[in-house]
Amino acid sequence: MFDLEQSIAEWRRQMLAAGIKTPVPLEELEIHLREDIAQQMQSGFSAQQAFGIAVKKIGQALELKREFKKISAPMEMQKIIKLAGVICVAVALFCQLLFCSPLAFAFVFAHGLRVSLLTRIFDLAVLVIPVAITVLSWKYNHKLLPVIRNQPLRRAVGIVCYVGCLLWIRFVLFHLPTDATGSFALSQFLLFVFLFGSEWTVMAILGGVGHGLEKAASKKSAAIDLLASQS
Amino acid sequence: MIRKELVAASAEPLVLSLLSKGESYGYAIIQEINARSDGKLQWTDGMLYPVLHRMEHRGLIKSRWAESETGRKRKYYSLKKDGKTAMAKHHEQWSLVHGVLAGLRKEQYV
Repeated sequence: MFDLEQSIAEWRRQMLAAGIKTPVPLEELEIHLREDIAQQMQSGFSAQQAFGIAVKKIGQALELKREFKKISAPMEMQKIIKLAGVICVAVALFCQLLFCSPLAFAFVFAHGLRVSLLTRIFDLAVLVIPVAITVLSWKYNHKLLPVIRNQPLRRAVGIVCYVGCLLWIRFVLFHLPTDATGSFALSQFLLFVFLFGSEWTVMAILGGVGHGLEKAASKKSAAIDLLASQS
Repeated sequence: MIRKELVAASAEPLVLSLLSKGESYGYAIIQEINARSDGKLQWTDGMLYPVLHRMEHRGLIKSRWAESETGRKRKYYSLKKDGKTAMAKHHEQWSLVHGVLAGLRKEQYV
C-alpha cells in the first residue's frame, strides 16, 4: 500500500543525503512538491502517480544541489571579496587625492613657475585621469572581465590580483625615481608624479578585479545555469 | 516546444515581469508561465528556486515567509527597485529583438 507521507519523508532523506540544506531550500522544495502532488491528485491521478510525476518534475537532488551550491556558499566570501576591493579602491582614491592633487594643482595654478600650457594640461591630466580610471574601473570592470564560471579559479585570480596589488605598491614605493641630492629635473619630477599617480590607479584596478569577476559571474550566470541544468 | 536556450534566456525577464504584477511563490510562478505559454515553456520545477535565490542575492527581488489562505506555509517573492530597473532593461532588449524579427518576417511576405 502506497504511503504518501512516507514517500515524501524518503524523498526528503534523499535530498538531505545529496546535500540540499534544511530548512532553506529543502523546505521550499517540499512545499512545492506537496502543492504539485495536490494539483495532480485533483486532476485525477492516484497519490502514487501524483508523487511520481511531482518528483520527476522537481528534478534530481544532485542537480539541484549543484545549482544551489553556486549561490549559498559564495555569498559570505563575496562580501569579503567586495570589502577587500572597496578597501583597495578607497585607499587608492584617498592617496590619489591626498598626494597627487597638491602636486598637480601646484603646477597648474602656481604663477611663479615657468611652465607651458601643455605641461599644465598634462599635470591636470595626471590628477584627473587616474581618479577617473579608478572610479570607472570599479564601476564597469565586470563588463570587460571574462565570466569565469569555475569558482575556485575565479577566487584564485582575485586573490592573485590582491597580492599583485600589494606587491606593486611595495615595488613602486621603493623604486620611485628620486635623486639622492634631492634636486629634480622637470622631467624627473613629472615622471615621479606620473608613477606616483599611476601607482594608486594600478592598485585600484588590480584590487577591483576580484569583485569585478564575482559581479560578472553573478550577472551572467542566471540564464546560463538554467540552461546547463536543462541540458 | 520552445527551445531550451530560449527557455533559459527568458527565465529572468519572465519572473521579473510576473512579480511586477504582485508578489508570488515558486509553484504559482511555474503554473502561470505554463498556462500563459500553453505548456510550451517548460522549466524543471526545482531549477526555478536557484534562479529565484540568485535574483534575491543580486537584490532584484526579496522574499518573505507567510501562510496561504489554506494554512500552507509559502515563501513569497516580490520585486525590488533594482528588479524593476532590470525588468525595464529586459523589456527594451526583448522588444528590440522582436522588432527586428517582425520586420524581417514582414519583408518575406512583401
